[in-house]
Amino acid sequence: MAVIKTGYKKPIVIKKGRLLIETVYKRLFGGQLIYASKPKKTATVSSSLQALTAAALTLPGLMPLSANAAEEEASFLYGYYEEGSRNLSGVKSRFNPIAVNSLLGSSTIKLADRIKFAFNYAQDTWSGATPIATAPLAFGGNGDNGQGHLVGGATPYLVNNNVSFDRQLNPLSNSGAKNIQLAHTISSASPETRNQGDFKLGYEWDEAALDVGGGISEENDYHSQFGNMAGRWDLNHKLTQLHLGQSYTNSNTTATLDHDATPYIWETSTGFNAFNRSNHDFQLTKSGGNTFLTGDRQDWRTSLGLTQIVNETALIEAGFGFSRGTGYMANPYKAVELAYIAPGQTANVLTGQTVGLLEERPSERNQWIQNLRYVQHIKGLDAAVHFDYSFSHDDWGVNAHTFQSDWVQPIGSGWAITPKIRYYSQSAANFYTPYLVTIQSPTFIYGANGQIIGKQFDASKLPTYYSSDPRLSGYGALSGGITLSKQLVAGIRLEASAEYYTHAGSLKLGGGGEGAYADYNSYLVNGVLNVDLSSFSTAVRRHNSMSMMSSDDVEEDHSAHSMSANHSNHGNHGAHAPAGVMFSHMLEKPNDFMVGVRYMRDTQSGNILQGSTNVSNLTLVNNACGGNSKCYDTVRSMNMNMIMLDLMYAPTDWLTLMLMPQFVDMNMSSRALTGAPTPTFNEQMLIDHHTLHEHTTGGVGDTGMYAMVKLFEESGHHIHGTLGMSAPTGSVDIKFRDTHGIDVGFQHYGMQLGSGTWDFKPSLTYTGNIDRYSWGAQLSGTKRLQNSNASGYALGDIFQSTAWGSYGLLEWLSTSIRGVYTVQGAITGAFNGAYNPLGPIDYTSNYGGRYWDVGFGVNAFVSTGTLQGNNLSFEWLQPVHTDVNGFQLPRSGALAATWSYVF
Amino acid sequence: MKIPTSLWLVASLVLVLSASGCSSVAPWQRGILAKSQMALDIYPVQSTFKSHIYTSREAVTGNSSAGGGGCGCN
Repeated sequence: MAVIKTGYKKPIVIKKGRLLIETVYKRLFGGQLIYASKPKKTATVSSSLQALTAAALTLPGLMPLSANAAEEEASFLYGYYEEGSRNLSGVKSRFNPIAVNSLLGSSTIKLADRIKFAFNYAQDTWSGATPIATAPLAFGGNGDNGQGHLVGGATPYLVNNNVSFDRQLNPLSNSGAKNIQLAHTISSASPETRNQGDFKLGYEWDEAALDVGGGISEENDYHSQFGNMAGRWDLNHKLTQLHLGQSYTNSNTTATLDHDATPYIWETSTGFNAFNRSNHDFQLTKSGGNTFLTGDRQDWRTSLGLTQIVNETALIEAGFGFSRGTGYMANPYKAVELAYIAPGQTANVLTGQTVGLLEERPSERNQWIQNLRYVQHIKGLDAAVHFDYSFSHDDWGVNAHTFQSDWVQPIGSGWAITPKIRYYSQSAANFYTPYLVTIQSPTFIYGANGQIIGKQFDASKLPTYYSSDPRLSGYGALSGGITLSKQLVAGIRLEASAEYYTHAGSLKLGGGGEGAYADYNSYLVNGVLNVDLSSFSTAVRRHNSMSMMSSDDVEEDHSAHSMSANHSNHGNHGAHAPAGVMFSHMLEKPNDFMVGVRYMRDTQSGNILQGSTNVSNLTLVNNACGGNSKCYDTVRSMNMNMIMLDLMYAPTDWLTLMLMPQFVDMNMSSRALTGAPTPTFNEQMLIDHHTLHEHTTGGVGDTGMYAMVKLFEESGHHIHGTLGMSAPTGSVDIKFRDTHGIDVGFQHYGMQLGSGTWDFKPSLTYTGNIDRYSWGAQLSGTKRLQNSNASGYALGDIFQSTAWGSYGLLEWLSTSIRGVYTVQGAITGAFNGAYNPLGPIDYTSNYGGRYWDVGFGVNAFVSTGTLQGNNLSFEWLQPVHTDVNGFQLPRSGALAATWSYVF
Repeated sequence: MKIPTSLWLVASLVLVLSASGCSSVAPWQRGILAKSQMALDIYPVQSTFKSHIYTSREAVTGNSSAGGGGCGCN
């Protein structure tokens, strides 16, 4: 018999169906049931009783705000978004449109009965081309630097052209015909990565809850930090929930203006063209060859919501939000085309000139959002239909409507299918304009010797605010998608989703949207792995240790770094392999599952080595770039982060299958080499491109698929072999954006995300343990099965050997020490497309080498309490000797961390 | 600062809903409401990802009071 604690004075007593009760109760509300009698081991429950108990169990809470938010859970999402090509009126852009690779990881755990802690990590890598400005087609802004090539956006061509208008200020084409057709100017960006970490600490009372949280979001040009607080009150016998939230965000923009665009962009507030400013003024700063635009902003948001049970099959939520932003609200990467027309012209054709302006937005924005959600159960189909509508209004003049409907259809065996449709429509901001025309003549600014050093316009003759950002234009967007979800085993759920999105001016509610030139389509896909940790809280748990990777490992698949595969043991609590060892253990019993996450950071910095010896800049200039070429720059530092998912399943006790998707991001900085010969103009532009900016890449890495086979097992000794393949799912064709009209071509070999080849990855692992001592050894290798990848090269093969010892300090805590030796071959082949080698990292002979490392690790295993079954390991790998092929940056060390959970 | 009419509509709705304590759905009648498909946010992790994409491409900043989210400048 179970007694359910409720908000009512009398507890509800249920005599049967205990297991169901407990499961449903915990899923919905958390907390513990109190049993009035000893629970039976099995429960036979009639369907009517199930319905009754399930219904009764809904009493203490109202309804879960999110269906799949368990008491304790861990989730991992990978998402990909890509836009289609824009219509450039007959000009074909050779740049890929913008694409985004996203990772989200989140976990929620209970610190105490009423206290929950949640941590989220998000990473997005953006790359590709988007519009930087808009102009009449007659301006020629969609062309290639005025060269007449039928290729758009080789540089952002913010034309400083002579243009013509009729007396009604309609643009005229070269033939003199009126042509009001607009076209975007497209600009391509090299990949950039954003990282965000945030947390939430929550306390629950019987009829209320309070969350306090905060976080940081970091990208090269934008930094923001935020704090928030949210409360929930249950009212009216929990038929009603009231929500209140408040957040504050402080953000700083430090944007490096596109050096291809600065010659054509004019600084708005002073009227000077940015290119000629030698020191800072209101908006811009010149430093180290770059032009920076800086600004700060603050955002406050308040939300108020009310959720209400309407009847037995429906519920509704109404919400209101207010947000207020102040400070620098503009987009530093968007420009507005401005045409000057000299006053006093009497001919029928008016002539003028064009420049690009930095956009100017109000320094304040107040936005009100109202939203309404309705959820209705569909009897017979056991489906639920969701309707969401929101309306947003702001004092920039943007009114936006969003309609969304989802149909959630369970289809048995744990499957559910959810089609979705969404419609969005917004009116244009009142300062949105595709381009500007002004009747004035600029004033010439003369230097000390009488030469013209710039021009200045009269800003008072322009509107106060203006922006050509298509996101502030009037348009509509229609999207449709589908989500498929599957509950695999108790507590594990997979989701896959796809959505197609059409943005069009003609879809704007009420008409009057932007022209078809701004239309585009996009799609997004994502996959989610969700583990409900709380559903295992009463299960018998064993633990398995996990592993991680050495710095040597990383190089295996990511060339400039080193990495490979190691492993070790498992099973009993005295035998934890260090965090950097992969494939260290098998699962013990048939039908065991394991989920784990591995994180690894590999860092390289310092003076360039030749073999094991530091070399001078001059040696690098003369010897590190092949026989006939000189080096002009070299790498200053390089960092790589890898996140790997460990998904393991044991179909039998002698075989464990493993799937390991990987996600990689890298960044590097470069320096010019003193003593290098005088570069040509193009070489200097390329050197600047490397040395003035940090380069980043990120996204999906290669995917490993392995089978681990038990070879020997006797008291305290275990041997298993691993056979596996690495599939080339990581990109090997990441390119730089153009600079000064030069096709910079491929990013460095070491910045590509995968090997690009199918790789064979065998290993042999021995582990042993006695009492508090454990030890292990492993041999592993990576053999490239193809001579070259799609980009024309192949990374070198890898061989690695490692051995370790571990001592258990406490029942739950052990330490380890490890030695690693790795050898990796040089790259064979070479990039088969545009590529501009300027430094040692661009030459294939400067990859691979022989590496000796020592690892120091700690491993914690939680054997009791609410976190029972979790294993957390860290290892620092310290390089002790390095002997590189050719000329390379030395390694600074590697951090490995793993979390795993077996059930 | 002009407050839109629709705001008053929503505020009125909130008041009406608040007063709907008279809507009596007894605890043992809430079995359907407890089904996962009836949750207000069915796929919360996906929602986080998708709303980040939407707010990067559309003028509305969203109704979440969580904060953060990055520039979305490109």
